[in-house]
Amino acid sequence: MKRFFFFLLVFLVTVTACSGAEPQVLQQIRLPMGFIADPQYAPFYVAVDKGYFAEEGIEIEFDYSFETDGVALVGANEVPFAVVSGEQVLLGRAQGLPLVYVFEWFQRFPIAVVSKVATGINSPADLAGRHVGLPGFFGASYVGYVGLLSANGIDEAEVNGEEIGFTQVESLTTDRVEAVVGYVNNEPLQLAALGEEVNVLYVADYIDMVANGIISNEETIAENPELVEGFVRALLRGLTDTLADPDEAYEISKKFVDGLDDSRKEVLMASLEMWRADTLGLSDPASWGTMQDVMLEMGFLAEPLPDLAVVYSNEFVEKAAR
Amino acid sequence: MIRWLNTQPTWLIILTSFLLLLFSWQAVVFIGDYPLFILPGPIAVVEAFVGLLADGTLLVHSWQTLSEVLMGLFIGCLIALPLGYLLVKSPLAERLVSPYLIASQAIPVIAIAPLLTIWIQSTYWLRVLVAVLVVFFPILINIIAGLRSVPLELYDLMHALEATRGQIFRKLEIPAALPIILAGLKVGATLSVIGALVGEFVQNKSPGLGYLLIFSRQFYRTADVFVVLLTLGAMALSLYGFVTLLERRLLRWRVKR
Repeated sequence: MKRFFFFLLVFLVTVTACSGAEPQVLQQIRLPMGFIADPQYAPFYVAVDKGYFAEEGIEIEFDYSFETDGVALVGANEVPFAVVSGEQVLLGRAQGLPLVYVFEWFQRFPIAVVSKVATGINSPADLAGRHVGLPGFFGASYVGYVGLLSANGIDEAEVNGEEIGFTQVESLTTDRVEAVVGYVNNEPLQLAALGEEVNVLYVADYIDMVANGIISNEETIAENPELVEGFVRALLRGLTDTLADPDEAYEISKKFVDGLDDSRKEVLMASLEMWRADTLGLSDPASWGTMQDVMLEMGFLAEPLPDLAVVYSNEFVEKAAR
Repeated sequence: MIRWLNTQPTWLIILTSFLLLLFSWQAVVFIGDYPLFILPGPIAVVEAFVGLLADGTLLVHSWQTLSEVLMGLFIGCLIALPLGYLLVKSPLAERLVSPYLIASQAIPVIAIAPLLTIWIQSTYWLRVLVAVLVVFFPILINIIAGLRSVPLELYDLMHALEATRGQIFRKLEIPAALPIILAGLKVGATLSVIGALVGEFVQNKSPGLGYLLIFSRQFYRTADVFVVLLTLGAMALSLYGFVTLLERRLLRWRVKR
């Protein structure tokens, strides 16, 4: 009997020792998101929840700090990735930040000019002479606004643009301004929820510029291209799943956004149309050129960047999609 | 060494410490090999300063912020002085008003920013209001403390001399409370700069140093950000210095320790 238990013990120890796989060590990555926790980040939440990032050896820590902080951190190689809008890449590169845009998440620029139906602003031409409120004369909102005017041959001086901070909803409902500039998946939805009938002029209907996506930096790409490819692949899978089943994606988002109930589902639904593309994640060189032209016109860039082609890379999306 | 330093003129001490600070700053940049957009060195900041001064940008924004600072400080004192006197003289008023005054200090202005923007259409007066909110409470507290520090025996003396209430106020209460009130004004003067800056963050429109700071951050011009920070520091130092000079003038009757 004793001999039986002895051999059983030896057997168990041997099996345990040979059972092989050590626990996978995941690389922890802090990911600046540029905005507060929100259901529009569903593709990221899905990719984390379904283990897509873990399969690539990545553990994501969401960091909901400002977009500009994310740009500076990536530029300094303090973090390998951040979620930022395209114009931030050009602004950063103009100041010497070695940023590279590696995944175009939003395929349509998410900025719009919103007005009450009663105001009669039905097309960009109707903006002439009107008072339009902007969060500030910087950022994606301002670039989108000027892009819209420029694409329709309207001089910025013809419209009374006014800084109102992030009070678009309050300013429009109290008629402080006649129209406001905001995000397609935010202000129009809030106004509709307040019972306001609104007209929405989508910047993306008139001009194609580069919006929110993933940036990395030259050092990370040179020294750890597998990490970039793995990150892009995981996000691509999360985005694909979100587009295929938004209901499931929204339920998963509830695990990551405190207090999220079904009342904000429309934020995700409004975002989906801005993500769809024949090939998800790819940058269009022409849209980078258009964005640079708009920013030169605005004076945001003093001169064209020496080589626009180094600002973005489709290499990792193409590899991940195979 | 310390004894020798104590014998040196103040301007030399300040200049030496400033040069040491500049040297340390440049050393940190050099040793840490920080890129310009993360931590610019003093030379880069001086270049940015010259550029912003030459094209008039710095003066325009500084003047706007300074006007908000001075107006906020003035209105803050204008409200704090009579209110402080009332709270000292009327226990009922103190019990009625104090809880709300204290609680109001815990309200972050940023949280009610959208409401302020709707209630107060004027950018300038909204910023001044924020500066007043920041400055008012510390000045009020010092006014109350100063008035309460007047020794009771001196009140007895004034009553014995049949002084009127006005005479007691002018010849006893104000001179006796002035040292503590001016100490509060020093704190208020430096806080007024922060108050105006917070107001410019709430109502982020040009001009204003707060606007210039956010604008520079948006364009990753970190050297410009440092110029703004140093300008704000210089503004606060100047106001503090002015109140110190005022203090020496008004309290010259005091025996020096």
